[in-house]
Amino acid sequence: MDQSTRRKFLATCLGAIAAAGGGATLYPVYKYLAPGKGDEGLAKATFPESEVPAGGAKFFSFRGEAGVVIRNKSGKLVAFSAVCTHLGCIVQWEKEKQDFLCPCHAGRYSMDGVVIAGPPPRPLPKLAVNVANGIITIG
Amino acid sequence: MIFVKRIYEWIEVRLGVKELVEKNLTGYLLPRNINFWYSMGSIILFIFAVQVVTGMLLLVYYVPDADKAYSSVTAIMNRVPFGWLIRTCHAIGSSMMVLFLLLHMLSVMFMGSYKRPRELNWLSGFILFSLVQVICLTGYLLPWSQLSFWATTVATNSIGAIPLVGQFIVEFLRGGKLVGPPTLGRFFTLHVAVIPVLIASVVGVHLFLLERIGVSKPPFGLDNTKNRWQGDAFRYDEHTGGIPFFPNYILQDMTSIAIYFSLFAAVVFFCPGIFFPDDAFIQANPFQTPAHIKPEWYFLANYQTLKLFPNEFIGLSIQGAAMTFLALLPFIDWGNEKHPLKRPLFMVCAIGGILLYIGLSIWGHYS
Amino acid sequence: MKLERQAMNNLITCISLAFLVACIIKPVAAADVSVRDENVCIRCHGAQPGRLGEPVKLWRESIHAANNVACNGCHGGDPQDAVNAMSPARGFLGAPEETAIPAFCGRCHVGVAKDYLSSAHGRALGKGGPTCVTCHGNHLVVKATLDIINEKRCSACHDYGRARTIKDAMQQTEGLIVSIGGRIDSFKGEGVDTDRLDKGLFSVRNRFHTLFHNVDVGMVKQESARINTELNSIAGSLDKIDEQRKKRKLAGAAVVGGALLAALVFYLLRKSYD
Repeated sequence: MDQSTRRKFLATCLGAIAAAGGGATLYPVYKYLAPGKGDEGLAKATFPESEVPAGGAKFFSFRGEAGVVIRNKSGKLVAFSAVCTHLGCIVQWEKEKQDFLCPCHAGRYSMDGVVIAGPPPRPLPKLAVNVANGIITIG
Repeated sequence: MIFVKRIYEWIEVRLGVKELVEKNLTGYLLPRNINFWYSMGSIILFIFAVQVVTGMLLLVYYVPDADKAYSSVTAIMNRVPFGWLIRTCHAIGSSMMVLFLLLHMLSVMFMGSYKRPRELNWLSGFILFSLVQVICLTGYLLPWSQLSFWATTVATNSIGAIPLVGQFIVEFLRGGKLVGPPTLGRFFTLHVAVIPVLIASVVGVHLFLLERIGVSKPPFGLDNTKNRWQGDAFRYDEHTGGIPFFPNYILQDMTSIAIYFSLFAAVVFFCPGIFFPDDAFIQANPFQTPAHIKPEWYFLANYQTLKLFPNEFIGLSIQGAAMTFLALLPFIDWGNEKHPLKRPLFMVCAIGGILLYIGLSIWGHYS
Repeated sequence: MKLERQAMNNLITCISLAFLVACIIKPVAAADVSVRDENVCIRCHGAQPGRLGEPVKLWRESIHAANNVACNGCHGGDPQDAVNAMSPARGFLGAPEETAIPAFCGRCHVGVAKDYLSSAHGRALGKGGPTCVTCHGNHLVVKATLDIINEKRCSACHDYGRARTIKDAMQQTEGLIVSIGGRIDSFKGEGVDTDRLDKGLFSVRNRFHTLFHNVDVGMVKQESARINTELNSIAGSLDKIDEQRKKRKLAGAAVVGGALLAALVFYLLRKSYD
C-alpha cells in the first residue's frame, strides 16, 4: 500500500473513531443537562380516610419506605416519613402522649414532626397529603 | 470537499489565513531529534480543557452553601444522569493534572530546556505549578465532606506558623477563625473564577514565550550538547531542516493525548477509589475530627516535612526555600551543558531531590 | 550579566536573613484548633488510677463513645462544671442498683427494655436473673453480635440448650444482615448514596436483635420470616446497583479500547509522514 492510500485509509479510520468518540461524549453530556421528569412519574400511596382512627395514626408504605398519617390539633390530616432521622428505625405513635417515639434510642417527635427529645438531628420530613371523596392520596 | 475549499478561500481573502497556517503550522519547524516528552505540555492543556468543561457541568448542579454542598454532590453522584462520570472525571483529572505537570517539569529539567534564554518560560511554568496547587487545594473543600473540611483545616493551619502575619493570613483565608461557611464562599470564588482566569492568562504567556523564543533542541543524539546562546541580541531559535509542526508533531501530540486518555479512562471507570478515601463520603462535622486525616498525595511531602520539624515555622521555611530554589533554577544553574549525563552535579541534586520527595510522600502516607 | 547575578544573590541572601531574624524575634506558637469542650467527667476520672479510672478506659472503646454518648448521657450530672458535675441537682444519677439497671438503660433503649421486662429474663430480675450489664457490659458496650449468646454466659443460670435453639434460629438471618451490611459499606466507599439502604438495614437489624430479648423461640421464628423478606428487598436494591456497576465497567472497557485504538491510528499516521 503506497503512502497516500495508507494515509487516506488511516484518516478514514480516524474519522470513524472521532465520530464514535464525539457521540460517546455528547450523549452523556446531553443526558446530564436534560431536565428531569419531576414528581409526576413517581408512585403515590392511597387509602380511604376512614382508616385513620381518631387520635390515632395510620402507617403505610410509600415509595419503599414507611410513612405515617395523623390528624393534627386543628383536625387536618398531616403525613410524615416514619423513618427516624437519627439512624433509621421506624417511629411509633404514642396515643396517650399524642407524639412519636422511636423505640431504638428514645427519640421523640411532636405531632408536628418536630424533635422534642433524644438524638434525632432533624424533624420528620413532611409528605404531601391530598384528600378527595374520602380517599387520601400521599405524594 | 469543494465546499470546504470555497469556505477556506472566502476566509483567506479576508484574513490571510494561508500565511498564518504556513507560519504557525506547516512552516513551523521543530528539531529533528524531538521526542515524545515535548508533548507533555499539550497533554496538560488537554487535561485543563477537560477540567474546565467538567467543572462547568458540575456548576449546573453544585450548590456552594455549607448546608447543601454535600447533598448536592451526593445528588450529582447518584441521581443526575451521568453525574457520577462528570464528577469522577473532574476529581481524577485534578490528580492527573498535577502528575503530568511534575513529569513536564522533570523533562524540562533533565533536558536543560530551562537554561538561558528560556528563564522566563521556566518562571511562568513555576507560577502555573503554584496556581495549580492552589486550585487543587481550593477545589478540595467544595464537596464539604469530612475529608474536605479537615484537610483544609490542616492545610490552612500550617500558614499560621509564619511569624507576625501568619495568624492574620489564616483568618483572612478562612473568613474567620475556623474553617466554616465563609471559607466555602472564598474558596469557591477562587476555584471557579479567579484561578482559572489566572491559569489561562499565564498559559497564554507561557505559550507566547515558547513561540517567540522557539522550541529548544533536545540534547540527545547530538555531538555538541552545549547551550550555544550568545546573549548579545534576540535571535529566534531556528531549526532549519526540521520537521513541521503540522501535521508531523501535532500527530505526536494527538498520540500522546490518546494514550493519556486511555490511562485516564481506565482509572475513572475501573479504580476511581484510589483517590477517594472513606472520609470523602461522610458529610463534614465541625465537631468531630476523624482519626487519620491526610492531604491528597501531591501534598504528602509538604505534610510530612511539617511533621518532621518540631517548629512549624522551620518546616515552612525549608519548604519555602526549596520552592524558591526551584523557581530560580535557571539563575542558579549557570552552566552551558544540556545533556543530563554530562551534568553530574545537577543529576545528583535532581535525583536526590526526586527520591527525597517520593520518600517523604510515602512516609507521609504511612505515618 | 555579572551585576545581574550579584543582584540575584543579594536578593536571596536578604530574604533568607529576613526569615532567620523573624525566627528569633517571634517565637512560634502553633495554632491550636481544639473545637470540642473537654468533658470534666472524662478529665477527672481519666486521670485516676485503678477502679475510678477504669470506666473511662473501657468507655473509649465502646460504641457509645463512637457516637458521642458520654458519661452524662447515662449517669446525668453536668459535664461542663467540675464543681457540680456529680450534683443530684444537675441530674446526677450515680451507678444504678441491680434492679434499676433495665430502667437506667431503658431511658434510651426503649424498645429493648419493653421486650426484656415482659420476658422470662425480665421476670427473673432481682431474683438472680440477668440484667443488661450481664450480657452487654456497662462501659465497654460494643455493637451487638450473636456471639453474645454463648455457652459460658448462658449456662451460668440454666442449661445452654435453650439459648442454643434461639441462636440457631437467628443464625441465618444474622448472616444475611452482616453480608448486606458489608455490601452497603463497600458501596459507600464508591460514593453511592447508601443513606436509605443504611437506615433500612439499621431498622431491620434493630428489630431483629430486639427480638431476642423476649427469649421466645416461637416469636423469633415467626418474625424472622417477615424480617427475611425485608432483607431480601434490600439485597435486591443492592443487586440493582451491582448490575449498574457492571454496565459502567463495560462502557469503560469500550472507552479505554477506543482511546488505545485512536492512539494507534495517530501513531501510524505520524509514521506515514516521517
